[in-house]
Amino acid sequence: MGNIMSAPSGYSPEEPLDAVDLEILADLARIHTMLDPVPDGLVERSLFAITLAGLEAEVMELEYVRVPEMSVRGEAPPIEARTITFTAESLTVMITLSARDDGRIRIDGWAAPAGELTVELHRPDGMVSTVADEDGRFVFDAVGPGPASLLLRAPGAGGDAVTTPIIEL
Amino acid sequence: MTRITEDVPEVDEPEVSLGDRAAAALLDYREGKHQALADFVREATPLLWHTVRAQGVVREQADDIVQNTWMALVRNAHTIQEPHAVLKWLLVTAKRGAWEAVRKHRDDQKRRTELPDDMLDGPTGTLPSSDPTPETQVLEVERDRYLWRAVLQLPDRCQQLLRLISLADRPDYKYISSAIGMPVGSIGSNRGRCLAKLRDIIESEQGDRTWETS
Repeated sequence: MGNIMSAPSGYSPEEPLDAVDLEILADLARIHTMLDPVPDGLVERSLFAITLAGLEAEVMELEYVRVPEMSVRGEAPPIEARTITFTAESLTVMITLSARDDGRIRIDGWAAPAGELTVELHRPDGMVSTVADEDGRFVFDAVGPGPASLLLRAPGAGGDAVTTPIIEL
Repeated sequence: MTRITEDVPEVDEPEVSLGDRAAAALLDYREGKHQALADFVREATPLLWHTVRAQGVVREQADDIVQNTWMALVRNAHTIQEPHAVLKWLLVTAKRGAWEAVRKHRDDQKRRTELPDDMLDGPTGTLPSSDPTPETQVLEVERDRYLWRAVLQLPDRCQQLLRLISLADRPDYKYISSAIGMPVGSIGSNRGRCLAKLRDIIESEQGDRTWETS
């Protein structure tokens, strides 16, 4: 480099990338990573999201969230008692999240129309399941905080499944 | 062997690029093997993040858009025709998600404040406070601040392009530039317009000093 330094547009776009170009790009990668770091956990959230997407269930709409006063949408909303309603064409699900004394969370759910349903609680690190009773009620008594998604399906093969968007417990 | 396209990678480039790994991951996934996709998600999430953020989306929303982009890939895993276009598909999907978010944000702002919409000019407009920390505090090395000031003198689209290609492999540049609507071939085996411009800015600011490797 250097032989055309004084020209106003000295560097030709047509020249091959040289060592200095590559170094500038490496510097830029580093600078952007410093200025605007990828959020902690985004990779894990993305992996969780693709696992859920792979279940090929219909995603319900988050219809209604009732939060206690002073709580703002954010990465870790205060856990007191939140009620969330999800709807799909075939099913409506309402859940209430309440904080337990031990820091874990109790989920009380109700699905309508009532009927025999398997309810799976998917988390980034695995899945637990329960069944709804004849009134459509189900409970996860003590679960840890963090991202979660519920999947509900009619028992038996070929039962249509619906899943909630990812929510933060 | 004859060259099939003009943008065949040069010999000194890594033989397998991000775009190749994207294609392999999708093909594996279709066969029920999920590990390659998980690895690819780890590797390519930063590129998607910066694609979305370069459109001026606030961090919290950008987080959602990146996740949605990955979900969309899985939902479309069996319908994407050309596995070798996966990387570009992801970038375009992320960018569209970002544009939608920016448009929605702008509409919301308008409704709430009724202020003239003069700060956000076009979908690439930068939203206020989209950067978490003032740049001068983060960039401790003078040389970085220097380079950054030069970058900020480039047109928006050049800034975007350089931001994204700096995070990818050379054979992927062509997908990136076409995904963000820059002419294909504007960068790749050649330096391209944006880098040439940046070099000129650096040079003119430095006077006689050269931008030598340190």
